[in-house]
Amino acid sequence: MRLRAEVTNSNLLLRIVQSIDKLTKSAILKLTPDKLHIIVITDMDSGLQLWSDIVVEALFEDYQIESNFNNEIYLEFNIDNLQRALRSTQGGGALGVTMKLVKKLGGLPVLSLIIRSQSATGREITLCQDVPVRLLSAEQMDAIREPLVPEGQIHIMMPPLNNVRSIAERMKGMGDRVAVSANRNGEMNVRVANDLVDITTYFRGLETMSYDTTTQETSTDGGGGTGRLSSETFTAVVDMKNFLKFLQSHHVAPKNVMCCISEHHALIIYVYIGSAGYTGAAAMHDSSCGSLTYFIPVRQI
Amino acid sequence: MAAVRGTAPEPEPALFRAKLANVRPMVNMLKTISFRPRARCVINPDGLVFTVEESQCLVAQAYLRAELFTTFSYDVQLAEYYRNQEQAGFEAEDSQDGEPSDVTQVVLPLDNLIECLTLFYGPSGTSSSGAQSGAHSTATLHTSGNPGDLRGATTAVIAFNGPGTDFELLLEERGTISLCRLSTFVPEPSVDLKFSHYPTTQQLIIKSEWLRDAFNELDPTSESVSIYIASSEPHFRISTIGESGSTDMTYSNTERILDSFFCNEDQENQYKLSLILKCKQALAMSDKTKIRINQRGFLSFQFMIPTAADVSFVNFVFAPLVSADESIADATARV
Repeated sequence: MRLRAEVTNSNLLLRIVQSIDKLTKSAILKLTPDKLHIIVITDMDSGLQLWSDIVVEALFEDYQIESNFNNEIYLEFNIDNLQRALRSTQGGGALGVTMKLVKKLGGLPVLSLIIRSQSATGREITLCQDVPVRLLSAEQMDAIREPLVPEGQIHIMMPPLNNVRSIAERMKGMGDRVAVSANRNGEMNVRVANDLVDITTYFRGLETMSYDTTTQETSTDGGGGTGRLSSETFTAVVDMKNFLKFLQSHHVAPKNVMCCISEHHALIIYVYIGSAGYTGAAAMHDSSCGSLTYFIPVRQI
Repeated sequence: MAAVRGTAPEPEPALFRAKLANVRPMVNMLKTISFRPRARCVINPDGLVFTVEESQCLVAQAYLRAELFTTFSYDVQLAEYYRNQEQAGFEAEDSQDGEPSDVTQVVLPLDNLIECLTLFYGPSGTSSSGAQSGAHSTATLHTSGNPGDLRGATTAVIAFNGPGTDFELLLEERGTISLCRLSTFVPEPSVDLKFSHYPTTQQLIIKSEWLRDAFNELDPTSESVSIYIASSEPHFRISTIGESGSTDMTYSNTERILDSFFCNEDQENQYKLSLILKCKQALAMSDKTKIRINQRGFLSFQFMIPTAADVSFVNFVFAPLVSADESIADATARV
């Protein structure tokens, strides 16, 4: 088993890990010859899950990976540890960062970040940050599957995450659940209510898409909706805590976020990373970087 | 939860409807009295008055005049109709606290009202910026926390349709709309410290910056603060006695400090310090403060707060502390 790479975009890797900070204690890192996957499962039944993939070229150069399982490696790591290690890679004097999977004394595997930087006096310093990891077998990895969710009724491009986040932060004290609704007129509503106050925020002018079950293709809805069905509203009621956890993805500065509502089942939100040059629904086909996919289960009364 | 309608509904004009070009002045005024979760709101043809009360010793009021709003419409006839309906069957003596019949009174959750009005303020308390991403937010679009800064502001339409209905806010900023409904409650008999029932024996107007300095010096370990006003030096003294000693701030009647001064009777009164400190925010926002004390030792602070070309008022009235040799009966007889 061998893993070694030059981390050329440590900032993006840090921001991805910042997005998952405090979601839960540990996460899974699945590395393949083409992609890096981070999987976070907060609670098998009622919790949010995050499944992400990023092409290795977006993060690394000189990427070498070898193993007995199709050259794939599966690790479990403590999110806070990795975040702290990655923070050390930032800073003006950093010259380069190498990532290696290493077996330390005592046989414990660690993901080692070797950070070469230049001090104020011009001398080269090497800092080594070791993140203890637990290796998973192919069988264990295989048992971890993406949740099965029935196809959603509507896909809608979300308003800028920072706008949604600042409003959600203000609304969070008013209820522990939030209703997210959308219709094909390009409107998305977010609603929180308790005994004393009821707030609904309406975002308009958003792009929506339809999924054609016969052709298995998605396409952008025409402007103005499609007749009498265009104002039909689909709603998913989820835990406010999970909604706020998804909003932490603002760290990756996404230009495109697509929300899919599968009524009575889940909110599935696709956060597209680094889709340079593509905006709107077309971002779905831009695999230049990767995406974070959040599964937020609908709250069961 | 029921699914919401796709389009944002407008509140229907009925009893009361007002439009605000910018919520900031209203938010700032309400924050000065936001130390209690609920407030009484009185709507009359001249504007809105929000009142909070604490421990029956402190009453604070913020006056939002109709001129602060872009439009202000209040249906007096409808208000009288609702009042008559409410009081049908009550004896004349039971009718509400001497307020004229053209006012509408309602109790609503003040903290939630402020949270709603500041919905678009952004996580750091400033207006939400138009920047796309957390990592690359452009500083030029970010508005400052300066209360006078009205860029990127939220507009609001406020509406109330009478007893038993919700207090509604329709907020808008940059194309995003929020509809907020606040539960309302029937007002209970109000605590009125009846400051004007007794003659004012002492009055002065002081530049607020001096009073802010005084407040900063007050010893927080002291239970009470003493206010002494006299026709001879020192004209105005604020003192505390705490664990580490005593503090005295004295002010003489000079033009530089006191804008006006009137003293009919030399008096010293004590007030509960923790209650006096509740007016710090109103004091922080004001240019000048009018201090009055009446014959029974009740204290009134009237804070003059500059708002867009003129002045708005926030009023605090405090009951004096009962002195050790005065009985409770004597104290309540004072009111």
